[in-house]
Amino acid sequence: MLVSLLARSRTTTYSDMCVNVTHDSHVSKMEQSESSHDEEDEGPTRAKRGKPEVVQNGLLRPVTLSRGDLYKPPTADELNQLKEAESLFHCSLLKMQMEELLKEVSLSERRKQLIDSFVQSVTEQLQTVPQTSDMELSDLSWLSGGVKVPFVLVPKAAKGKFHMAPPISVTIIGSYPLGTCTKPGISVDLAVAIPADVLHPKDALNQRYPRKRAIYLAGLAQHLAASPAIGAMRYSCLHGNRLRPILLLSPPGKDSSSFTLRLHACPPPGFFKPSRFHPQRNNIRTDWYTGLGTTSEPPTPHYNSSVLGDMLPSAHLQFLTAVSSQCAAFAEGVALLKVWLRQRELDQGVGCFSGFLGSMLLAYLLSCHRVSNTMTAYQLLRNSLHFLAFNDLTENGITLAKGPDSTAPSLAEFHTAFQVVFVDPSGHLNMCADMTACTYKQVQHEASLSLQFWDDPTVDGFHALLMTPKPMIRTSDHVFQLCELVKLQCCCKKLNLLSELMDHSGNYVLTALPFILSLLQRGLGQRVRLLTHSLTPDPEWPVESDAPKHNTQPPLSFGLLLNPEQAASVLERGPPADSPKAEEFRQLWGSRSELRRFQDGDITEAVVWEGETTCQKRLVPRQLITHLLLSLLLSHADIPESCVRYIGGMLDDVIKVGREVCSTGEEESLKVVQSYDDLSRKLWTLEGLPLSITSVQGAHPALRYTQVFPPVPLKLDYSFFDREKYAICVCSTMNPSRLPSPVVVICHMEGSGKWPHDRVAIRHIKAAFHISLGELLTQHHHYTCQPSPTHLDVWKDGLVFRIQVAYHREPQVLRESVSPEGLLIVRDNAEAQALEMATMQRPLLTSTLHGLQQLHPCFGAVCRLAKRWLGAQLFSDDITEDTADLLVASLFLQPAPFTPPGSPQVGFLRFLHLLSSFDWRNNPLVVNLNSQLTAADYTEIKNDFIASRESLPVMFMATPNDKKVSIWTKQAPTVQMLQRVVMVAAESLKILEPQLMDTSQIQDVVMRPPLDPYDVLIHLSPKQVPLLSQAVDPPHATFSRGILAGRVANTGGALPVIDFNPVTHYLAELRDAFGDLALFFYDPYGGTVIAVLWKPKAFTPLPFKTSQMVARRVEVSGEEAHTVPNVEAILEDFRVMGQGLVKSVEPRTERWVV
Amino acid sequence: MAPSRSKHANQTCVIPGGFTVLSLQFSTDIVAQHKICVKEHRVRAEKTTQRPLDRTLFVLNIPPYCSEGVIKELFSQFGPVQSVELREKPGSFEHSGPKLAKYFTPAQKQRFRVGYIVFQKAISITAVKSHPHDVPLVVSTEQRPVWTGLQKWIHQYKQSFAQPDKLQEAVDTFMQDYDTRKEQEAERQKEEAEEQLEDEEGWVKVTRGKSGTKTRPHSEVSNQKALQKESRKRKRKELMNFYTWQHRNTQKEHIAELRKKFEEDKQRIALLRAQRKFRPY
Repeated sequence: MLVSLLARSRTTTYSDMCVNVTHDSHVSKMEQSESSHDEEDEGPTRAKRGKPEVVQNGLLRPVTLSRGDLYKPPTADELNQLKEAESLFHCSLLKMQMEELLKEVSLSERRKQLIDSFVQSVTEQLQTVPQTSDMELSDLSWLSGGVKVPFVLVPKAAKGKFHMAPPISVTIIGSYPLGTCTKPGISVDLAVAIPADVLHPKDALNQRYPRKRAIYLAGLAQHLAASPAIGAMRYSCLHGNRLRPILLLSPPGKDSSSFTLRLHACPPPGFFKPSRFHPQRNNIRTDWYTGLGTTSEPPTPHYNSSVLGDMLPSAHLQFLTAVSSQCAAFAEGVALLKVWLRQRELDQGVGCFSGFLGSMLLAYLLSCHRVSNTMTAYQLLRNSLHFLAFNDLTENGITLAKGPDSTAPSLAEFHTAFQVVFVDPSGHLNMCADMTACTYKQVQHEASLSLQFWDDPTVDGFHALLMTPKPMIRTSDHVFQLCELVKLQCCCKKLNLLSELMDHSGNYVLTALPFILSLLQRGLGQRVRLLTHSLTPDPEWPVESDAPKHNTQPPLSFGLLLNPEQAASVLERGPPADSPKAEEFRQLWGSRSELRRFQDGDITEAVVWEGETTCQKRLVPRQLITHLLLSLLLSHADIPESCVRYIGGMLDDVIKVGREVCSTGEEESLKVVQSYDDLSRKLWTLEGLPLSITSVQGAHPALRYTQVFPPVPLKLDYSFFDREKYAICVCSTMNPSRLPSPVVVICHMEGSGKWPHDRVAIRHIKAAFHISLGELLTQHHHYTCQPSPTHLDVWKDGLVFRIQVAYHREPQVLRESVSPEGLLIVRDNAEAQALEMATMQRPLLTSTLHGLQQLHPCFGAVCRLAKRWLGAQLFSDDITEDTADLLVASLFLQPAPFTPPGSPQVGFLRFLHLLSSFDWRNNPLVVNLNSQLTAADYTEIKNDFIASRESLPVMFMATPNDKKVSIWTKQAPTVQMLQRVVMVAAESLKILEPQLMDTSQIQDVVMRPPLDPYDVLIHLSPKQVPLLSQAVDPPHATFSRGILAGRVANTGGALPVIDFNPVTHYLAELRDAFGDLALFFYDPYGGTVIAVLWKPKAFTPLPFKTSQMVARRVEVSGEEAHTVPNVEAILEDFRVMGQGLVKSVEPRTERWVV
Repeated sequence: MAPSRSKHANQTCVIPGGFTVLSLQFSTDIVAQHKICVKEHRVRAEKTTQRPLDRTLFVLNIPPYCSEGVIKELFSQFGPVQSVELREKPGSFEHSGPKLAKYFTPAQKQRFRVGYIVFQKAISITAVKSHPHDVPLVVSTEQRPVWTGLQKWIHQYKQSFAQPDKLQEAVDTFMQDYDTRKEQEAERQKEEAEEQLEDEEGWVKVTRGKSGTKTRPHSEVSNQKALQKESRKRKRKELMNFYTWQHRNTQKEHIAELRKKFEEDKQRIALLRAQRKFRPY
């Protein structure tokens, strides 16, 4: 599937210069319309406006205003506007963005007309519902045409009479008349009042009213089914509440998906007395529900509130209309709040924070003067988020009721019955009845998070606040799912929740959920910052089928936001053995709890989880949750694994280092860093060098914990290798399986007048330093050393360190040259830049990122996953290691609207999202390392970027030390490659996320590159690929000849073969020879195939020129000679140049012709 | 009809520009052939002894696996070869700097190159040019195999190890050489400086061209520094908030700034709107 999606014709990739793939079509369309518009305009008007040609091929250009425009005297109006933008918003940009967004979500006039006319016709239809004669409630024989009743009729028996009759009134309620209805998913609510003679005053008892309501709806459905003016009809239920089914109508024809009409049946106004539905009263008799007689009748608050909810909508609408007429920006404020909620997946499903609650919240804030009537939508949103962030409705509920009705329940009574309390204007209904405390906490968390980055001028607040979707899998560090929800039924029995089950009318998922959540909360304790759960989506089913059972719901997902310090601890320390809490602790943990004596002398209850390596420890929450849930769900030994699906470390496999011990490389990296620290200490203390060492810095990914496969200490079996002179063994049979890759260390030498001022001489002096450093290290510490002109290899602890001496003035010397007139000219050149990068910038980056790893323990793992993906997709040469590390660092440094990633998996998903969604064309990515950049710096970077966009790299990343150049992305990627990376990242994300959430088994599809876009494949012989064991699909048998197990000796021993990778040699030769004609792609982590792509212009004939005669043959036509690539010979050269390494060359001639 | 083709069209192949095309294959068991173009070296302006005009052959499109040695062997079938020079781009002969030890010569890129082959006799050139087109030159034969691929890389790897004492020796010789060169340079400068000094009677010898050097800054950087210093000085002397018009101007500037920002934002919005960037979902 991926393959087919990614297949693309070469011409589109190369001709299309626009980076942002997804919007191409729109852009071009818009441009066309705009340009045509411009043509209609007269030339002079355009000139007079003095406006720059905005949006020329989708690229921002520096604004140029004429002097006259800039300095003309301002009008009072303009002055006001400018001042307002400056003081209220950060800038006018945010204000304009909000306005645009509102335009985007509001309904068009055309759509409103459509809705109005459809409502009109439905109303007319409804008035003609035929009257039927009285019959028993349980007798449904009059329903024909296959229409079913949208209700689970359990228990079956129900008393009462029923007959169909036309509704006494049909009114529009909800968001549409209020003007707060937003796109997408437009739904218009229509309240259909059931005539009073159909109902009986005592119908509120024992689900009689909800049943009548459902049957009435079925009757309406039956009547409407015959009508041609109505499209598809489906049932659903309001916010997932099975007691409140609704009928969804869509208009016929092509408008069928543009909106839905929701029919609510409701009792005639004032039919039931609201005081009957006090949360502490019982309205479902136990003996009716269970068939067993009991003396106590438990209160049924949820049932009560759902009946009550049916009676009040029109009152609510009146209330809200009154409020919104006072406040001009009310509708817009609600719309913004709705968008905010929707991006966080909070606005739909059971117990959601719906748009209705949003309107009510704003009404509350207005009524208690927290916000004023004159505020703008922007301020309304901000204030409501502020209120949400700092007010805990689970503890202190709020009420909209003004004059307290004597029969209305008090807030305290509401609190005992419900978890979250927000009472409506009538004082009887808790509008948050179904909401769990966890959901409210999530809302609070999101609100306070939003406020945090809102004011931060360095964050694109608008984008983070309203434009970025936050699906659970990308938000939570770990996610787990509860499959097989039927198990919850026995869980209800076990927890003795029969009365609650009755209250929820048999919905065991909703009944058990609060208990599961509180259990998890207790068990996880300090390990998590936030526990969230998915809101079960509203079921929808056709009118011809029965209401779905509770067990057909999709699995419940729970999200954990981990506390990085405590989440991975293997020890759960409980209370002392003799304290009263110990019993509770033992009960929670059951057999896992044991008494332990600690070093400080305490004897306490404790639970110890398994986990040795970081990778295993990261999954401690999984052990814990599995333990808790299984003990809850299963009475007997059932199939435990299928019940709980834990999604936390699914991706770790591809970066696992050892096959024996499960580890994702943290331990190995730590060993390398420790060994390096030791070496650097020893270097500092060396005596006898002509100049002293001023700094020793690591310049290698392994030293910042981000090497995909960190070097593993080796113990060599010397008897295996041929002994050569110089005490260096080179295995002539060349079957190296684990080649130690050298860890680069930069060693700066003191500046002195004795350094020569000549580039060649400096290189010689550096060589001399390498020799003497090597001698000293051998003398004092008995390390085996091998100096060379460019570096010194040191064999230490089974690792190879490559020390490079650097002289800080060398780049300067490289830049200087003397003109013929004797003038000293300083000119920047590539050589100097490369040297500066290797000796200064890379060490600096390494130490900075090393620091970041100390702050965020999973930074390294995310980098490794990201780089493994880039490697697997053959992008390693385009997005280099340093670039990838910086990209990941930006995820941690500027996580808005998320929190910094707490697990490798979520970090990786966000990396893919960043790659695929960032607008590289018009925005610089600012990586604020060490928070050195201020807001002023950000604007400066942005302005510089826009001013010289054309000449800057396509992927522009600014860091505190590099604000204008983007050194790390200067060479690569190119426009075309970046475009492809963006596309592949988007596809990978699209495939990976559902795969993680849905299927039970994971395929590494995203780690397998689609090979069919390439023109030639060079297959390598796997035996000669040294890093084969790192491949995504590693071979079963790994070659590890010449390596012994056991502890590594610290010093001595001959050097192994260092950094000899035939494939890199081969690639370098190929690129040198044929770089003008083709691109070469390779997975550096054990890939066995090199993919070749001809450049688009490779095959066009060129006129014969002596300087362009590269692997070409001449074709003579008349007087002129042209050259074309000699493809046959080139393909042969692929084979010749890789003799011994290449297995076969597979030209895919179906893709190209010469 | 085609004047470019010589009459031996079936044997030699001459193309416009005067080049003769030869075939070259890596070994006999490989079918594919590279086409190399040869021509006698003929450049008007060149007057070096390195490339005598009558005996030098200019060769295009030499595959990367052919080193100087291989080419020498390959072309000695046409007559004794005096020297071979391979370069990435055609051009005049360049003198490299001081001779470096092998450790310090930068690694060459494995590219297709052009070559200048100097034969000992001029007759060899015509021999090459009359070589039939369909008889390829063979690079690697049983007698003189050419290593590519793994074998070559292993060889290179082995060669890359420098013995510390040899390396040290190379460094020492170079540095000695460098020091002597430096000393000579210093000597020369000193002599020049002495010439500028007054003699016993107070006379200074004025020579042409040397006099200007003292006033002219000797590097670009110091040049710029002087200019900057000047402009800073000028700025310091200015009075800032003194006149009313100055105050008015700052206010005007502020509004202009706000306006400019507004325009920028407008542009940004227009762009985003064009890209449908305001669709939240």
